[in-house]
Parts: sequence; C-alpha cells; structure tokens
Amino acid sequence: MHFEAAASWGGYVAGPPRGTVVGDPVERIERLASENAVVIFSVSTCCMCHAIKRLFCGMGVNPTVHELDEDPRGKDLERALMRLLGSASVVPVVFIGGKLVGTMDRVMACHINGTLVPLLKEAGALWL
Amino acid sequence: MASQRIGETGLSESGPSTHHVPYGVLHGINTPPSGLMNQGSAFDFGELEEAIVLHGIKIRNDEAKASALFTGRPSATLEMFPSWPMRFHQTSRGGSKSGGESTDSGSGVNTRSSKTELQFETESPISIKASSSDHHQAFDQQQQQQETATDASRKGTSQNQSAAKLSQEKKKGAGSTSEKQLDAKALRRLAQNREAARKSRLRKKAYVQQLESSRLKLTHLEQDLQRARSQGLFMGCGGAGGNISSGAAMFDMEYARWLEDDQRHMAELRTGLQAPLSDGELRVVVDGYLSHYDEVFRLKGVAAKSDVFHLINGMWTSPAERCFLWIGGFKPSELITMLIQQLDLLAEQQIMGIYGLRQSSVQAEEALTQGLEQLQHSLVDTIAGGSIGGDGVQQMMAAMGKLANLEGFVGQADNLRQQTLHQLCRLLTVRQAARCFLVIGEYYSRLRALSSLWASRPRETLISDDNSCQTTTELQMVHPSQNHFSTF
Repeated sequence: MHFEAAASWGGYVAGPPRGTVVGDPVERIERLASENAVVIFSVSTCCMCHAIKRLFCGMGVNPTVHELDEDPRGKDLERALMRLLGSASVVPVVFIGGKLVGTMDRVMACHINGTLVPLLKEAGALWL
Repeated sequence: MASQRIGETGLSESGPSTHHVPYGVLHGINTPPSGLMNQGSAFDFGELEEAIVLHGIKIRNDEAKASALFTGRPSATLEMFPSWPMRFHQTSRGGSKSGGESTDSGSGVNTRSSKTELQFETESPISIKASSSDHHQAFDQQQQQQETATDASRKGTSQNQSAAKLSQEKKKGAGSTSEKQLDAKALRRLAQNREAARKSRLRKKAYVQQLESSRLKLTHLEQDLQRARSQGLFMGCGGAGGNISSGAAMFDMEYARWLEDDQRHMAELRTGLQAPLSDGELRVVVDGYLSHYDEVFRLKGVAAKSDVFHLINGMWTSPAERCFLWIGGFKPSELITMLIQQLDLLAEQQIMGIYGLRQSSVQAEEALTQGLEQLQHSLVDTIAGGSIGGDGVQQMMAAMGKLANLEGFVGQADNLRQQTLHQLCRLLTVRQAARCFLVIGEYYSRLRALSSLWASRPRETLISDDNSCQTTTELQMVHPSQNHFSTF
C-alpha cells in the first residue's frame, strides 16, 4: 500500500503512511473546491462531464475544472469523492462557493427549480 | 378410409404414448365426474372407433375379465361419448330407456363441447357409416353404464366393483348383438385397443387443455395489441420488423397501460375543474397527475437499463410524437412554449417564472445535446478505429463501454422533463396547474390521434387487395381515435 502511494506521487520515496493519505485527498478536495467560485471534478473523456461544462459555459460561468484522469493523485481523489457522495458515479461533481452541490442530477434540478443562479451569484460566479 | 385412419390412431398407440399423458390422469386416478364428461365428449375418437369396429365381435361376456386386468376406468370411459350419438342419431332413440338420461348428459356435454363442433362434424361420416340400430342401442347402454360408472366412482367404490357392475349391465342390455365368438387373442387385442384408446383420449385431453390456455393467452395478447393500436402506438412497427427485445416489449405494455391511466387522470382533472372541487381537493388530483408522470419516468428508467435504444429511437411512442423526440422523450422547452400560448390568466410573476423556466430548460437541453453529440463523435471514432487490417473486436469492446453512457443521457433527459413538470406545478396556482396538465394531456392525446389518422388516411394506390387485413386494422384505428378529440 505504501509503495502504491509512493508510485502515485510520481516518485516521492518517503511519503506519509496510508492513514494520513486517506485523509489527505478529502482535504485536498475541500481545498481545491474553495479555491474558485465554481469547481468541477471531471474526467476528460466523460461525455456527461462535457455536458456539465457546456451548461456552465452556456450560462456565462467560467468553472475551474479538475480532470481526475490527468491528476497524479486522481485515484485518491476519486475514492474520496465516492465516499463523500456515497455513490459509484463520481463525475461530474460540482462545488459552488466551496460547498458541494452534487452530480448532474442535482445540478439540473437546481437549475430548473431556480436555485442555481442565486447560488452562482452569491459565489460571485455570475453577475447579471 | 377415414374410419381406418381413426382406428389406426386409436390402436397404434400403446406403451410409448403414456408419457404424453399428464400425471394425474394416468392409470386409475379418479378425476371428477364432470371432468370425465368433458374429456370424453371432446375427443374420444379412439374409443368410439374401437367400439364401432369391434361391434361385430361379442365383447360383453369378457368385459369383467378385461376390466379385472385393467382398472375399471377404461371400461367406464369407453362409453364416454354421450354427445356423439346424441348429435347425429337423435331421432332414432325415442323409445330407449336410457335415452332420457343420455339426453340430459348429452345435452349438457353438448353445450360444453360446442367449440369442438367442427371436429365432430368431420368425424360424423364415420359414425353414420357404421351406424345401425344396434350401435345406437349399444351407445345408449354405454352411456347409461357410464352414468352408473361415474356415480360409482363418485361414491368412491372400488373400480373393480364398478367394472363388475358395468359388465353385468352390458350383458343385460346387449341382447341384440349376440355374436358369442371370442378367443383369447381377440380378447387380448381388444384389451390392448381399449388401453390404447384410453391413452389416446387422455392425450387428447391434455392437448385440449393446452389449446384452451393458448387460446386464452391469445385473447389477452389480442386485447393488449388492440389497446396499443388504439393508442396509435404500433403504427411504424409493421415495417420495423418483429425483433423487439423483452425489455422493450415489457415497457411497451406498461406504457400502454400508463396511457390508459392518463385518460383516467385527465377525466378526473376535467371533472374536478368543472365540479368545481375545492382547492385542497383539486390539489390532490393535480398531485396525482404529477405522480402519474413520475411513474412513467420510473418505467423509462427501468427500460433504459435493458434496452436504451428502444427509448432513444422512439419506437415506444407514436410517429407524430417521434417527430419531436429529443433524447427519448419530449423537449421540455417546446412543451413550455406550447403552454405559454394556451394558458391564460397568468399573473406577471407567473409569466416571469415560466419564461425563466423555459430559459433554464433551454440551457440544460443545450448542454445535454452537446454532451450527447460528443458521445456520438467519440463512438464514431471508436467504432471506425483500426478499420484497415483489424477485426474490430477491440473497437467493439471500447464502443460497448461508451454505449453504456447512453443510459445516463436518457436518464438526465427524463430527469429534466420531470423537474420541469414539478416546477410548473410550483409556479402555478392549483387551478392553473390543473388546466396546465389538461392542456399537456390533450396535446399528446391529439398527437397520438394524429398518428392514427395519418396512417389510416385513404391511399388507394398503396393498399392492394393483398393488404386487405392491413386496411381493416387501419380503419379500426380511426374509430377509437375519435375519443382523443374530446372537448377540453
């Protein structure tokens, strides 16, 4: 397990033990999520992720996208997201203003029931 | 000729035929008397033929012996054709004592065996050919004895007892057939014939039961088909080929039922608005309609797992609806546009809300459409990859993985449709919501009716004499579709 962690860190030999590695991805996610108004965790080849990106762009929002398959620690992040969401379908997942909104289902529902736009405005991602 | 044929059928099947016979009906198990009657009246050609063929030979004397070898049942059921002689030889049995009883039994059985009329008629020449007053009397006796036999079995006496009774009565009544020559060989042959005939009869009973259940199934299928046709659903299916997956077929049936429910809900809404119900009561009806739509989205979710192509290609819906299909269903923004035109008396806030809903819907639809387009491009690249010199297996596997995403897109599209309907409900007052749902229901009803009408429009050049049944079904479809134009 330790070797696996070291390998995924691209060659850092002395990495922290597995226990703290588990906590780390979640922290990393939280950190990444609060760095920008709209943060999307995605997979570059996923078509649904493409759809959600088009949705935000179509609304005039400029989301920050983290492609998990292009991140060296992507697997850990994916696992952490799975634990956070409680489901296997992890991407795409959206954070607005540092808070978890959810996957495509939730984002769609929020947009239709009119709560998405106020959320975006509140986070400073949209100015009317 | 015919008699020979029947005779052969009756006689040639001994040992091997037992496995064709259902368990409970095999040797010596008591079936209820009414069952006996039915069974015998329907198909006892073997027995009949045997009786006719063997009538010249004296069998009465050896009835007891033969019955002792087998169970009493064979002899009891030998005469299991009360209706046979009745039907064709009614006039000749005026004075016979057993005629009265036989008539009752015969007529009773006749009504039950009406469906086998055709067969009776085709076989009648045999009986007529072989008929003589002797035969009639013998049949009468047989019927009477069968009555006695069934009575006996009803009371639960042993089969040997009833057989003995039978043989006695046969001896008594068979005065006119007086040939007394019987050797052991003939006896054995007769016994075998009897046994074979019995088995033949049992087999035929099983066959009849099979036919009955198939007939029932067919009736149900026809009803379902008719129902679906009246909804204009299977219009395009004639040419599309019969290869429909079981998941798709299941969904089509459930959807047909859903459409019937839809009519019912709409009627409820209509009467609710006219009645007029109180807001609270109307709210219940409106919520009921929302749940009704939730149900169809749930059904589609299940169907998408087994056959997403069926949903996407729209074969489950009517051709006119298929025209406007977007990712396996209606386009929410188009629906809202239609509603904006049809709904009136909206407050400004509501109008704003609905326009905003339409805009959100358009944006969501755009996003999903572009996501699907990317999936399609990716699929094309994947499937076409390595076309030169490759067998495509690798590409197939990769494509399979990508196709799995289709289910997600249909799911999201349905989710969008569902959310739109719920939001509409939130934006409108309860009466406006009721009217809104009526408009939606009526609109799709008309689209379906349009599909039917279009398919059944006169096209003399296309419809030839060969397609006469096609014409009939199309004409059939016109009538039920009138219901769709109910006033709103």
